[in-house]
Amino acid sequence: MPKGVLVDITRCFGCRSCQVACKQWNDIPATPTTFSNNWDNPPELNAYNWTRVGYHLIEKDNQTKWRFVKTQCMHCEEPACESACFTHSFVKTKDGPVIYKPTELKQDFCVGCRYCMIACPFNIPKFEWDKALPFLRKCRFCNDRLHEGLEPACVTACPSSALKFGEREELLAEARQRIDANPAYIKQIYGEKEYGGTSWLYLSDVPFEQIGFKTNVSEKPIPLYSWNVLKWTPYIFVGWGAILTALYFYTKRRAEVHGEEMYAALETMEEEKK
Amino acid sequence: MQKAWSFKLTPTRYILIALAVIMLVIVLVRFILGLGVVTNLNDHWPWGLWIGFDLLCGIALAGGGFSTALIVHVLHRGKYLPIARAALLTSMLGYIIALVALLFDIGRWTNFWRPFFYWGYHSVLFEVFWCIALYTMIQVLEFGDIFLERVKSFPLKKVLGYAMTPLIIIGIILPTLHQSSLGQLYVVAVDKLYPLWWSMIMGFFFVWSAFFLGPAMVTLEGTLAARSYKRTPELPVFQSLTKVTLWMLIVYLIVKIIDLVYRGVFSLAFNGSFESNMFLIEMIVFVIVPIIMYAIPTIRTKLWGVVTASALVVVGVIFNRINVVFTGMAAQMGGHYFPSPWEWLVTLGMWSILILGYLFIIENFSILPKEEHAEEVAVSHGASVGKGVPSGV
Amino acid sequence: MTNHFVDYRNADVFLIIGANPAEAHPMAMRSIGMAKGKGAKIIVVDSRFTKTAAKADIYAPLRPGTDITFLYGIMNYAIQNNLYHHEYVVNYTNASYLVSPEYGFADGLFSGLAEKDGKLAYDSKKWDYQKEGENIKKDPTLQHPQCVFQILKKHVSRYDLKTVSQVTGTPEDVLREVCAAYCATGKPGKAGNVIYAMGITQHSYGSQNVRATAMLQLLLGNIGIPGGGVNAQRGKSNVQGCCDMGMLYHLLTGYLKCPDAPKHPTFKDYLKVETPKTSYWSNTPKFLISMLKAWYGEAATQENDFCYDWLPKLNGKDHSHMAIFADMAAEKVKGLFAWGQNPAVGGPQAAAERTALEKLDWMVYIDVFENETAAFWKRPGVNPANIKTEIFMLPAAFSYEKEATVTNSGRWVQFRWKAIEPPGKAKSDLWIADRIFKAIRQEYRAGGKFPAPILNMVWNYDLPGHDEPDLEKVATEVNGYTVADGKVLGTFANLKDDGSTACGVWIYCGYWAIDPKEEDPRLKVPAAQRRSREDKSGLGLYPKWTFSWPLNRRIVYNRCSADPAGRPWNPEKVLMAWDGTKWITNDVPDFKAKDPVTKEPVPPEKTANAPFIMLPEGQGRLFASGMKEGPLPEHYEPVESPVKNLISKQQNNPLAKRWKGEFAKLAETASKEFPYVATTHRLIEHYQTGTETRNSPWLVELMPEMFATISLTLAGRLGIKPGDEVIVSSARGEIKCKANVLPIVKPLRVNGSTIEIVALPWHWGYQGLAQGSIGNDLTPYIGDANTSIPEYKGFLCNIRKA
Ligand SMILES: Nc1nc2c(c(=O)[nH]1)N[C@H]1C(S)=C(S)[C@@H](COP(=O)(O)OP(=O)(O)OC[C@H]3O[C@@H](n4cnc5c(=O)[nH]c(N)nc54)[C@H](O)[C@@H]3O)O[C@H]1N2
Ligand SMILES: Nc1nc2c(c(=O)[nH]1)N[C@H]1C(S)=C(S)[C@@H](COP(=O)(O)OP(=O)(O)OC[C@H]3O[C@@H](n4cnc5c(=O)[nH]c(N)nc54)[C@H](O)[C@@H]3O)O[C@H]1N2
Ligand code: SF4
Ligand code: SF4
Ligand code: SF4
Ligand code: SF4
Ligand code: SF4
Ligand SMILES: [Mo]
Repeated sequence: MPKGVLVDITRCFGCRSCQVACKQWNDIPATPTTFSNNWDNPPELNAYNWTRVGYHLIEKDNQTKWRFVKTQCMHCEEPACESACFTHSFVKTKDGPVIYKPTELKQDFCVGCRYCMIACPFNIPKFEWDKALPFLRKCRFCNDRLHEGLEPACVTACPSSALKFGEREELLAEARQRIDANPAYIKQIYGEKEYGGTSWLYLSDVPFEQIGFKTNVSEKPIPLYSWNVLKWTPYIFVGWGAILTALYFYTKRRAEVHGEEMYAALETMEEEKK
Repeated sequence: MQKAWSFKLTPTRYILIALAVIMLVIVLVRFILGLGVVTNLNDHWPWGLWIGFDLLCGIALAGGGFSTALIVHVLHRGKYLPIARAALLTSMLGYIIALVALLFDIGRWTNFWRPFFYWGYHSVLFEVFWCIALYTMIQVLEFGDIFLERVKSFPLKKVLGYAMTPLIIIGIILPTLHQSSLGQLYVVAVDKLYPLWWSMIMGFFFVWSAFFLGPAMVTLEGTLAARSYKRTPELPVFQSLTKVTLWMLIVYLIVKIIDLVYRGVFSLAFNGSFESNMFLIEMIVFVIVPIIMYAIPTIRTKLWGVVTASALVVVGVIFNRINVVFTGMAAQMGGHYFPSPWEWLVTLGMWSILILGYLFIIENFSILPKEEHAEEVAVSHGASVGKGVPSGV
Repeated sequence: MTNHFVDYRNADVFLIIGANPAEAHPMAMRSIGMAKGKGAKIIVVDSRFTKTAAKADIYAPLRPGTDITFLYGIMNYAIQNNLYHHEYVVNYTNASYLVSPEYGFADGLFSGLAEKDGKLAYDSKKWDYQKEGENIKKDPTLQHPQCVFQILKKHVSRYDLKTVSQVTGTPEDVLREVCAAYCATGKPGKAGNVIYAMGITQHSYGSQNVRATAMLQLLLGNIGIPGGGVNAQRGKSNVQGCCDMGMLYHLLTGYLKCPDAPKHPTFKDYLKVETPKTSYWSNTPKFLISMLKAWYGEAATQENDFCYDWLPKLNGKDHSHMAIFADMAAEKVKGLFAWGQNPAVGGPQAAAERTALEKLDWMVYIDVFENETAAFWKRPGVNPANIKTEIFMLPAAFSYEKEATVTNSGRWVQFRWKAIEPPGKAKSDLWIADRIFKAIRQEYRAGGKFPAPILNMVWNYDLPGHDEPDLEKVATEVNGYTVADGKVLGTFANLKDDGSTACGVWIYCGYWAIDPKEEDPRLKVPAAQRRSREDKSGLGLYPKWTFSWPLNRRIVYNRCSADPAGRPWNPEKVLMAWDGTKWITNDVPDFKAKDPVTKEPVPPEKTANAPFIMLPEGQGRLFASGMKEGPLPEHYEPVESPVKNLISKQQNNPLAKRWKGEFAKLAETASKEFPYVATTHRLIEHYQTGTETRNSPWLVELMPEMFATISLTLAGRLGIKPGDEVIVSSARGEIKCKANVLPIVKPLRVNGSTIEIVALPWHWGYQGLAQGSIGNDLTPYIGDANTSIPEYKGFLCNIRKA
C-alpha cells in the first residue's frame, strides 16, 4: 500500500527539527545563510535543502496568526517530474516515494536537461548548480528508511505529531475525521486531489492560499496533459506522412503536366542544365 | 574543375572568429566547473538564454527549412526553388547550433547519448529530442547531396539520391512534430505558464508559427544575402511567399482568439498586468500589423514592405518564444534571472559560428542561385529536385 | 515541577506565562498539543507573540516585569466572582490561618522592614501565624479579618482589571478573557496548568512571581491533580539534577540547607534549626547523617558528629554568580573553575564579567568547545600580552559521549547510554573530576591546611582495568546503601540517623535500586534504567519509565487530587481514591495512605488536613513568611523601568540585590536616554550562549546572525528597515546587530503612554562558526532578593540605526 505523510499545520510550531533531521539523515551539508527577517532560513529549497518550514505571519482583524508550513516534494500520485523525464530518471515507486534513479539506484541516465524542474507544479526538483556533473535533488521520502520499515527522518524527528506517516488511504480517512471533529479546520485536504493527488497531504486552519499554497489548481494529473497531446504523435506521423507522400506525387505529376506556366523558375533552370 | 576551398577573411569575420574562440573557452570552463559558474541559471530559472533563445528561437527560425521544403519539394512549387537551398542551409546550421546549445546546457553532458538508448516516451521532451536529432541527421543527409556534388563524389550522390524522397518527406514530418512538441513541452506547465500562452494546443501554435516564419525568414535572409553579395533580391519570390504567410497569420490569429475565448481567459489580455501587455504587444505588433501589411498590395509589392513585414513576423516569433519561456513563467517561478555576460558571449559565439559556417558554405558550395554560379546551381538543382529523384520512388 | 511533562496532556486550560516551550522546550509542546487536540485551551502571556503564542487560544501581551500584577488580576477576579475552589482552599491551603496582628502592609511595603548593617531586611516574625500553644489559630469560615484569605483578598483587591491593564499594557478585554478562561479551572474536576520559566524568574522579584503562580494554583485547586500543577520548565537538560545534587551554593544535596557558620556553628545547632517538628523535613537528621556517611565513610561516627565540622560552611554572605564575579573584579577571587559554563556570554553585564576574568591568576576551563570564556584573553579588543591569567583547558566529553543520568524538570531521573566515543583526548566530566580529586588528595598527603576532609573523603570509584571511574559505584553512593553490607536502599524511608545508612542524595534514594517485585527480566535493572511504556492509569504516569524522585512519585501533593473524604475531584482522572476501605493509588501516594507500622490503610480524614507533607503546617501556603520581600508578592517595577509604579509609591523591590562600582550602572526611571523596554529570550536553534549550537553548521544555517526585534511602529518611527544594522544600547554598553522588524512585538499602552519593546536573543559571541554581538553586554547587574537570579528580562535600552 502506498505510503504518505499527513502534515497538520495546526500542530506544527516551527521547531524545524524536520529540517535538521533531513540533513542529518541524508548527509546534506549546511549552506551559508544571512539574517532572515522572517526567521525561516535557509530562504528556499535548493539542492542542499530538501525541506523547509516556511513561516507565515498573518495579521488580520487585529489578530496575529503565525503558521509554519513544512514543504518538500509532494510525491505526487502521478508525478509531473516522472512524466516529463525522457530518461525516466524520476519514478514513482509503489510504496509512494518519487525517487531519482541516478542517486537512489545508481542508474544514471539523467542528462540534466531540467525539464523536470519546469514540469513540477510545486517547483521541487533542484539542481546542483555548483557541480560539474550535477544531479537533480529533492526530498526522497527517505526511501531507504521506508524499506527498513522506518518512518522518514523528518517525521521521526517531529515532536508535535504535525507529521504523521502512514498509508495514504488511512491518512486521508484520518484527515477527514480531524476536519469533521474540529470546525477550525479548512474543509480541504490539500493533496487529496491536487494534480491527481499527492502522497503528502496537508491540513490547515487558515486558507491554504494565505500560507503559500497554490490553490484552485488542476485536479487532473499533469502526465495526463502531456499524454493527451503526445498520444496523437503516431497518428500525426502516419497521417501527415501519408498526406505529404500523396501530395508529393500528386503535385509532382501536376508539375510535369502543367510545368510550363506554373514553374517558370524551374523551367529556366532545367533549360540551363541542358 | 574543383576549386580550392576558400574563405575570405574580413575584419568582421575576424571579430566573429574571436567571438567563437571566446565561446569555446567559456564552454570549456562550463564543462569543467559546472553551469553555476558560468551562467546565472538558478533553481527558479532552470532554463535561460541558451534554451530560451538558442534552442527555442533557433529551431523556430530554422523553420524556414521545412516550410520551404514542403512548398518546394512536396507541393512542387518550383518557383521557390532558388531559395530552397539557402533555406535548407540556414535550417541545418540552426539545428546544429540548437543541438550544440543543448549540449552546453544539459548538466550531465557526459550522458548526452543516453536518451538514444533510454526511451522515456511519456515525455514530450522525448519526442523533441528524437525528432530534432533525427531531423538534423536528415538535414545533414539532404545537405550531403550538395556536399557530395561539391566534392564531385557522384556515385555516392546517386545512392543518396535514391533515398532523397523519403528523406524529404520524413524531413517534413519530423519538424512538424518537434516544432509542435516544443510548444507541447509547456503543456506540463499548466498553472505555471500564464494562461494567455498556456494552452493544450500550444503545439499547434508553435508549429504553425514556425511554418509561417519560414517564408518570412527566407525573405529576410534572401534580402540580406543578396545585399551582401550585391545581387538583386528575388522580390517576386518573396512576394508570392507573402500570400502563404498572410493566410497562415490570419488562421493563427483566429485560432488564438477562439482558444482564449474557449478557455475563458480572453479577458486576461486586458487586465493591464505585465503579462497581458506583453501579450497584446505580441499579438498587435507582430501578428495583426504584419497581416495588414501583407494584405495591402502597395506595401506587399515593395521590397521595404515585404522585408519590414517579414522582419516583424520573425521578431514576433522570437518575442512569442521569449514570452513563453520568460514572461509567462515569471510569476510562478519567482526569483530573478538575467543572462550572465558569459551566457551572452556563448550565445554570441554560437551565432557567430553559424554565420561563419553559412558564409563558408555559401562561398564554397552552390547554394545561392548566383549568376556566376549559375551552372553549378543548375546542375545541383536539377539533381536534387524533380528530375533528380527517380520517379520510381 | 509538581507534575511532569507527559501529564500536560491531562490539562484543561494552560496558563503559559513567561515561558516559550515552542522554542525552549519543544518536547513539552508535544504534550501541550495533545491536550489541545482533546480540547484544552491555551493561554499564553508573554511580552512577545511567540511560536507558543501561535498555538494559543488567547494571547495576552504584557510589559516585561509586570507578571505579579497580571496574576493578581486573575486572582482578584477569581475571588470577586467566587470562582476559586472553595473546598480546596479551605482544606488544603493556609487560607484559614490567622496571621499575627503585627502583620501590616502599606505603601507597597510590609511591616517589619528595617535597615541592618546598611542593608534593608524584613523581620519575618511579624508575619507569623497566630498560635494557641503549638496550634495555629484558624477560621475555616475564612471570614476573620486576620485570616490569610481575607488578607489576600484585600491585598489583591487593588489589582482590578483596569489597574492591571494600565500597568501591564494588556488590553482589558483580553485580560477579562484570560480571567474567565483560566478561572474556569476553579471548578472541581477541572485542571488548570501553569507553565512558567525565565519570563517569570529573571526579575528582581522573580521568586515572588513564582509565588504568585503557586498562589493562583492553590486558589483554583490546581495543585496535586492530574493536568494541573505549577510547572517550572527548567533549563539545561540536567539543571534539575544539578540542583538536586547540591550544585547551588546555599544548598547541600537533596535541598538540605548548606551549613552557615553564623547560623549553625555546630552539628546540634544545625539539627535544631533545620529540623521542624512536623512535615517530612522532620527527618532531616536522617538525610544529613546519611549524606555525611556517604561522604566521610568510616571516619564519620556518632562521636564526632559524623564529621559535620568537616563540611564547608557559608559565611552568611551571597556567593551566587554575580557575587562571585563582583569579588573577582575586586580581586578577591583568584582562581576559577569554569566547568561547563560560559559567563563571558551568559552572565549579566557580560562585558564587565569578561573584564573581571582578567583579574584571575588562573582558570581551569573544562568544556566541549573553546567558548568565549575560554578565549576571554584573546577576545576582540584586548591584548593577550596584558592578561596574566594562566589557563588550563581540559576537553570534556559531550553528553552523548558518556553515560550517566539526567534529571528533567518533571523530576524524572533518566539514565542515558553512551552513543559514541568522545573525540581526541576528551574525557567524561566524571573522569576529570576523579583525576582532579586524586591529584588534590595527593597534594594534601604531603600536608596542608585542614587535610582531613580531603584525605578521608570516600573516593572509591576505581574500576580495575578501566580508565573511566565506575559509574555503578557513584550511583550506589548517590542512591544510598546500608553501611553494614553495602546493599542498595529502595526508599529513603529506610534512612537512619545512627550512621547505619549512607546516602549521597536522599531524594534520589531508590533510583538505582532494582524493584524486587519486578517480574519482567528486562525491567530487572536499576530504576533509572527502566524503559517501560506501561501506563495502567491511562494518565501518562508511566511508573516504570525510569525513576521520578521522590520515591518514583510522578505528581507530588497528590492527596489534593481527591476531596477531604477521598473522592477524586475528577472521577475520570483518578490519582488517589478512597474506596471506603482502602486507597486506590495510581501514583505513589504523597501522604500516609498506609500506616508504616501496621500496614493498615489510613482513612482519608487523617490526611485531609496535611496534603503538603513537606510543609510544617501541612497545607499549601497562600501566605508565605519565608520570602525575603514579604509574605505576599507585590508589584514592583523592574529596577530599570520606563514608568513609575502605579500600584504603590515603592518603585522597586527594596530587597533586590545590587552591586557597586562598575556593576552599578543603571538607567533612571523613565529615562530619556533609554526609552524602550528590553527583554531577552531564547531561540530554538541556539542553546544558551551558543557554544554548542554555534559550532553546529546545520543550526548556524537556520539562525546565522544576532538581531533585535522591534515593532513595525518603532521601526517606522526610527526609519529602520528589516535587516538594517542597528545599535542597541543600555546604561552598560552597546551592541551592534541586525534589525528584525516583525509584528511579534507590538507597542503597549501603559497608563496612557506607549511603551515600545526591544526583544533580544542572547546566543551569540565571538567564538564558534557564527559570531555576533553579546546580548548580555546590555543586561543589568541586579538580582532577585531570594535567589539572586539576574534581572535579564526587563531593562531599559535605546536603539538606533548603525
Ligand atoms: N533552544 C533552546 N532551548 C532551551 C535553552 C536555549 O538556550 N535554547 N535554554 C534552556 C534553559 S537553561 C532555560 S532556563 C530554559 C528557558 O526557557 P524559557 O524561559 O521558556 O525561555 P526564554 O526565551 O528565556 O523566556 C521565555 C519567554 O519569556 C518572555 N518574557 C520576557 N520577559 C517577560 C516578562 O517579563 N514576563 C513574561 N510573562 N514573559 C516574559 C520572553 O518573550 C520569552 O518568550 O530553556 C531551556 N531550553
Ligand atoms: N540575557 C540573558 N542571559 C541569560 C539568560 C537569559 O534568559 N537572558 N538565561 C540564563 C540562564 S537560565 C542560564 S541557565 C545561563 C546559562 O549560562 P551558561 O551555563 O554559562 O551557558 P551555556 O551556554 O549553557 O554553557 C554551557 C557550557 O557547557 C559546555 N558543555 C556542554 N556539555 C558539556 C559537558 O558535558 N561537559 C562539560 N564540561 N561542558 C559541557 C558547553 O559547551 C558550554 O560552553 O544563562 C543565563 N543568561
Ligand atoms: S512534487 Fe514535483 S518533484 Fe515531487 S513528485 Fe510531484 S512533480 Fe515530482
Ligand atoms: S534533468 Fe534529468 S531527471 Fe530531469 S528531466 Fe532531464 S533527464 Fe530527466
Ligand atoms: S522524507 Fe526524508 S528526504 Fe524527505 S524531507 Fe523528510 S527527511 Fe527529508
Ligand atoms: S518537526 Fe514538526 S513541529 Fe517541528 S517544524 Fe517540522 S513539522 Fe513543525
Ligand atoms: S531536552 Fe533534548 S529532547 Fe528534550 S526538548 Fe530539549 S533538546 Fe529536545
Ligand atoms: Mo537556565
